[in-house]
Amino acid sequence: MSAFALAWRNLVRQKRRSFLMIAVVTFGFAAFALAGGFIAQSFEGLKEGTIRSVGDLQIVDRRAVGKAEEATLEYGLPDARRARALAAADPAVAAVLPRIEFVGLATTGAKSVPFLGVGVDPVPEATATLAPELIASGKYLSGDGGDGVVLGTGLAAALNVKPGDRVTLMSTTPDGSLNALDGVVEGLVDVRIKELNDRYLAAGIGLVSRLLQSPETVSKLVVFLKKGAHEEKAAERIGKALVSGGYPIVVRRWRDLATFYEQVKLLYIGIFGFVGAVLVVIVILSAAIVMTMAVTERTREIGTLRALGTRPSKVLRMFLAEGVAIALAGCLAGTVLSLIVAAALNASGIILPPPPGATHGMPINVKLYPLAYVAGIAAMVLTMTIASYFPARRASRTSIVEALTHV
Amino acid sequence: MSRDSARPLVEAAGLSRSYRLGAGLVPAVRDVSLAIAPGEFVALKGPSGSGKTTLLNLLGLLDRPDAGTVRVEGRDGEELSEDERSDLRRDRFGFVFQTFNLIPVLTAEENVAYPMALAGVEASARRARARELLASVGLAEKFGVRPDLLSGGQRQRVAIARALANGPSVVFADEPTANLDSRTAEEILDLMREINAKDHVAFLFATHDPLVVSRARRVVSLHDGAVESDVTA
Repeated sequence: MSAFALAWRNLVRQKRRSFLMIAVVTFGFAAFALAGGFIAQSFEGLKEGTIRSVGDLQIVDRRAVGKAEEATLEYGLPDARRARALAAADPAVAAVLPRIEFVGLATTGAKSVPFLGVGVDPVPEATATLAPELIASGKYLSGDGGDGVVLGTGLAAALNVKPGDRVTLMSTTPDGSLNALDGVVEGLVDVRIKELNDRYLAAGIGLVSRLLQSPETVSKLVVFLKKGAHEEKAAERIGKALVSGGYPIVVRRWRDLATFYEQVKLLYIGIFGFVGAVLVVIVILSAAIVMTMAVTERTREIGTLRALGTRPSKVLRMFLAEGVAIALAGCLAGTVLSLIVAAALNASGIILPPPPGATHGMPINVKLYPLAYVAGIAAMVLTMTIASYFPARRASRTSIVEALTHV
Repeated sequence: MSRDSARPLVEAAGLSRSYRLGAGLVPAVRDVSLAIAPGEFVALKGPSGSGKTTLLNLLGLLDRPDAGTVRVEGRDGEELSEDERSDLRRDRFGFVFQTFNLIPVLTAEENVAYPMALAGVEASARRARARELLASVGLAEKFGVRPDLLSGGQRQRVAIARALANGPSVVFADEPTANLDSRTAEEILDLMREINAKDHVAFLFATHDPLVVSRARRVVSLHDGAVESDVTA
């Protein structure tokens, strides 16, 4: 009879204790698998939110990488319409959004407040990004933007303006002269970061180009890819197309741009790792107690097995096999439990708070994340082996005479 | 065959064993020399605490002496590793205990087959031999029954069948009749005598049961851990 078959019979014999131990592993495993699925969902939400904000790819002048501009549009992309068309011609591209980044002063005459501005192409911007969802009052820019501007709620409060009011924008042009234009407040946005809210201003690219007196030059092109497109290959193709079109650019990927994504991911992995470690410790402690009880209760039996000629290593294997059998049974039950709980949670419609970088919560959607299941099985088998090892070793080393006379 | 003419199966020389009790050492076996020859039917008798079980455990390689040697078919037990001692017990010895000590999760047949499985006997062969042994001890109808559903006498019969599984040269039996009524005890002793006569397997009993002593061909009396007398009928 194999060690496993004997282990299984002993588990069946000790029904209540085995059930208790399998239940511990089941809940531990299910928690592991569900947490893995939840974390996987969070990563996906975070990734989606990040891409909606920075795009899949960004096309910038080579000189702009790692350097700040000293003058407005110092590292801008000239002839942006052609560059945009070249990028948009790639089959993997869903949208190419021009952006002009600039700074200036907004004034109503009574008060002047500095702002961080961004010039956008409103219609594709509204489709591809989260911008319209951030509107707190009024509406987002439409058409080519015209004279419309959108202000952060903090900036609007500082200027004491509301949708429909006029505001004068002042900025320096690339050649260093000062220019001013009037705009109409279309809407107010809440960008969820207070410091940015106090300075944020968006306007149509036409208005910004007129203000900066630099038509056809943008700071960057933000590229959104079609679903399922190969990001790396698309970046390579677009880069080649623009470089051969005479643009001294580089194509940057969203991961390089959103450093916080990796940081948040590391944080999540840290939290997951900590929770996992706590689960493992709980399972180890419970299992060690149960296995020690099993060894103590079966001391006479161990003495008999040893007297009959069972080698100490086989006694060790028998108890380890019990630990592994509990782990496997627990993982099987845990899989069923986690699938039921995941289905119940997904059907519950619970809305989660928005992940960092996102503005809206998402309905809970615990994914079936196979890696968490595989890791969970490995963790539980390893945990039970460790928990069983020391009681099992004690069993294998027990003096036969002492074991036979154990009461 | 007389015990003087044959090479001893088990031979003890100058065996001593003490146990720690509180701060002091209590001698259980003192300077015992004893040889068991093939086919013998020996009773180790003596009052409680005389060292019968300790001596039986030492001769059966279940325990290690503080001094002296136990040689099994010429091999010094103290020079063997734990695995070698296990293998020797498995292949050459059988054990019968006062409390039967059957494995509770195994059926009667599986209990008997267990030592054969340890010895690597093929499944069909050990099944056939287990059934044959159980039939020979009168349990042909109990192959698939778990120990908890057997009577004391039946359990001891399973234990005897198990002790014979790998064709041992000697069976060590520690108070094998102590938990049995007198009629069952007699039946068990008859069975052991029959096996002893038929298969030439030596039996060594630790006992204080006069019935067992009366059926033994050789009686070794122990007192305070030392051999008081060694009489062959």
